[in-house]
Formats: sequence, structure tokens, C-alpha cells
Amino acid sequence: MYGRSAAIVGAAHSKLGEVPGSTSIGLMADAAVAAVADAGLQRSDIDGIIVRGPDDEYCFQQQLGERLGLNAAFTTSLDNGGASQALAVVLASLAIEAGLATTVLCGYARNSWSRTRQRGSRKARMNQATHVRTREWRDSFGYFGEPATHALGAQRHMALCGTTKEHLGHVAVSVREHATRNPHAQMRSPLTMDEYLQGRLVTTPFSVYDCSLRTDGAGAVVVTDVSRARDLPRPPVIVRGFGSHNNLRGWTVDDHMIETAAQASGERAYRNADVSPADIDTAQLYDCFTYMVLAQIEDYGFCAKGDGGEFIASGALALDGAIPTNTSGGQLSEGHVEGMLQVVEGVRQLRHEHPVERQVPDARLALVSGHGGNTVCHTTLILERD
Amino acid sequence: MVESAPAIVAEETRPRRVLPQPTADSRPFWEACARRELTIQRCNSCERHWFPPSNRCQHCWSDDFWWRPVSGHAEVYSFTVFHRAYAPELADQLPYVVGVVELAEGPRLITNIVGCDPGSVRVRMPVEVVFDDVAEGVTLHAFRPREKAGAP
Repeated sequence: MYGRSAAIVGAAHSKLGEVPGSTSIGLMADAAVAAVADAGLQRSDIDGIIVRGPDDEYCFQQQLGERLGLNAAFTTSLDNGGASQALAVVLASLAIEAGLATTVLCGYARNSWSRTRQRGSRKARMNQATHVRTREWRDSFGYFGEPATHALGAQRHMALCGTTKEHLGHVAVSVREHATRNPHAQMRSPLTMDEYLQGRLVTTPFSVYDCSLRTDGAGAVVVTDVSRARDLPRPPVIVRGFGSHNNLRGWTVDDHMIETAAQASGERAYRNADVSPADIDTAQLYDCFTYMVLAQIEDYGFCAKGDGGEFIASGALALDGAIPTNTSGGQLSEGHVEGMLQVVEGVRQLRHEHPVERQVPDARLALVSGHGGNTVCHTTLILERD
Repeated sequence: MVESAPAIVAEETRPRRVLPQPTADSRPFWEACARRELTIQRCNSCERHWFPPSNRCQHCWSDDFWWRPVSGHAEVYSFTVFHRAYAPELADQLPYVVGVVELAEGPRLITNIVGCDPGSVRVRMPVEVVFDDVAEGVTLHAFRPREKAGAP
């Protein structure tokens, strides 16, 4: 059994948003250096690296180690898509308990905004040799891009549970509201429900406001053992527990797009951490699309399956709501760094380091999620203020 | 023997395509489409179906299977109407409907919903397969609304 002996001692991110000329590895190095400094540690302390970059860059941890001049006992790069970053913290905790390493740097970086500008025309993109399997079973039917997969889930949820466009709008508006108070957020202007409903359609029911951003950015945290953490400058954030689940059979199989892998992942995490949904003070949820926030709010037991729309419309995600969620603006408004900023914000909330207008009062337990890997991998972290 | 479904010309509701590149696993599926037959792999050991094509039964891992012609009847499990053109060639096809249909025999497949106004598509809508010769030697399936009562 996991002994709850790991803690996060450093958390930071790079510049976020539109960073012309940035590279993924450059952003990663910036976030890593800032996280180590935030921890009050130095280069010689780091003996583990679990970092991930764009899918087309092999062995991203080697690139970072080279750039930071680090040989390290334990390193890897995970392959669970958006579920990788929370999973990196899990793996770091296990590695530390097992004695594979003492102090592990976890992170993610991608210069997504810059890549969007650099790529060739959309025609060139469509004719690129995409993965044979995707081409055969998706591209052939005009099923392109990221939004469609979750849009299928949202559409079915609307048919089965009566969820409305306005319900999804409340997710977008709530998360944007948090971003308006975050000086680093990529999108900081308030979003009204009217503006949301007028948003340009992408693929139903999603408009641009239902979709996460393209962001140049990186995030990093440093994990070490609790006893060492207590000697360092910042209040330690204990990795209290975790759980994962992966519906590898596929998003369109069984009810996986309605009751997502978050449900089983969450159940395992609650049991592992010995907490219940009512104990959670703030949730930092993987918000690739508005629908995934709604589905996770239900799957994590903050309300019943099917009731997410009404629950969120009641103001549940606000700082003074039932479950303050994505309090730095999420991937919908702060920036998409494949879930890494959700880990960073979970840590910051539990350290009570935000000004009062951004701080969840007396936050003691945070739930952080990661979701991805062809839409079916899911990791849940339970973090606790020491 | 399943009644072969008619070819359709419904360019006004069909996206122009990236063409599939059949693999050893999927070639029989596409060859059947060219004959206007929808076929799904069925395991000879456990008698269950699966999709997309594979070299083993997804349920019991047997590699003893056959390609069974199925009824072509299905129900819309979910759908999404594309309004963004992911390539210039698709712009004049908008809006078009990508659907996940659940075959009467069980498996679900990704397809296009055609032959109706995109705004009229509904979850649980009964549909039936149709075939479209989109290029030399390439036939794709799509599904159109079906009258449930008294269907042949």
C-alpha cells in the first residue's frame, strides 16, 4: 500500500499563451528551473525526471536532462495523453517510496499556439499521412480534430439526461470567471452567457467557447519525501492518494462517454486516500472541453449522474460554490498545458498562496484529474495540505 | 442473405473524403462494402461480434472468426454536426453529420448520417445502411433514416 510519504514542494509554470519563438523544450526548461527554485532546491537535488512533450518528440525527458545538465537515476516520459501529468505525480510518489529516486521533477510542455501558426495550410494537414487507423475509421467520414469525440459524448448526455447548451455554457462562464482574476491567464475578459450562446459552432453541440485553448506553455512540480519536504521553505502538499482507470475498449463502447473512466478512477482514489467527495475543497479537472467538466463533476460524486447541468448552473464551480473548480481558469481560459496547470493550481490552493479573491478559504484537500490517451485514460490525485 | 442496399448519390449531405487505406485486418470489410454488403467479424468460439476489424476476437481472444453479413439496421447512438471545415475541400459540404450507430447485432461504428436535414438527426433514431462509391474502387457506408414499423 502507498504510504503517503510523498509531497509536492515546488510548483511553477512558464510564460503562458502567445509566446512567439518559443519551443516546447525551452518552455519546459523555464518551468523546471522555476519549480526547483520554488522548492528551495537546486540542480544537484534532482535525481528523477518524468516529463512529457508533444507526441511527435521522442524521449522528451532526455531532451530536458540534456538541457539542464542532469543525469538522473529514474526518468521516463508517459504515454497516457492528458492523463499523463497527474500520473507522473503518482509515479514519482511510488518511485520515491521504492527508493528509485529521492526528488523527482514532473512536467509538461508544448508550444501549441506557435505550432498552429507554423503549420501549413489545412489542406496540407488533411492530406498528411495520418495514422492509418485514424484515417480509415475517422478521417474517411470527415471526423477530424479534437472536439468531435467529446461532442459525441455531450450530444448523448443531452439526449439522455436533458442537459442543455446553457448548462455547458455555465461551465465555460464559470471557468472564465476564475481566469479574469489570474494575471497569467491567456483569456482574461469576462464571458457572458449571451456571448457563449453566440459562439461560432465547431461541431455540435460545441462552439469555440466549449473548447480548450491552444497555448504556448509549460508547467512543472517537484516531488520529494514528506520528511524532507518539511525542511523546505514552502508548506508541503502531501500526495495523499490516487487512483486510475482506463476504458481502453474505447470511447464509443458501452457507456464510456457518459460514465467516463473518471468514475472508477475517482472511486479508487477516494478509497486510497480514505476521503469522500464531501471532503474535497477544490477540484482541478481536466477541461479539454466543457462537457468533460460536467461529466467529471458527476463521475466524481459531487452530484448524481445526469444532474451535472443544473448543479453547475446553480454556481457550484464558483470560489464560494459547492466545489470551486478550475480556479486559475482551466484549460478553457488559463491555458492548455495538458493538465499540468491543474496540478500546479491544486498545489497553490493548498499552500494558501493566492490573494484572497483567488483563494478557496481554508482549502485542505484538492482533487486533480487528468484525462486523455485517445480519450479513455484517467488519473485522479488527492492532494492534502500538510 | 441480406438484401443489398442501393447505392446513393447524396453529395449534398456527404463530406468529400480522405480515402481509407485498407489493412490486412480490414480489407474484407471494405471489399464487402464494394459489394454493398455490411459485414462484421463474428467469433466462431464465443459467437460475439466486434468492430473495428481485428485479427482476434475482442471478447475471448480466439482467432477463429468469419465475416458475417449483417442486417444493416441500426440506431443512432450519438452524432455531431460539423460546422467547421477541417480542410478547404470540406467547406462546401458543411454542415455534415458524423454519427456513431449501434447495429442491431451489437457493435457500434463511426459513419455519416445522410439523407436528411442535419438538424433532424436524433439519438435513438432508427437508421439503415446505404453505400456510396466515392472513388474508383472505394465504397463507403453511410446510414439514412429508416421507417421502423413494417421494415422489410
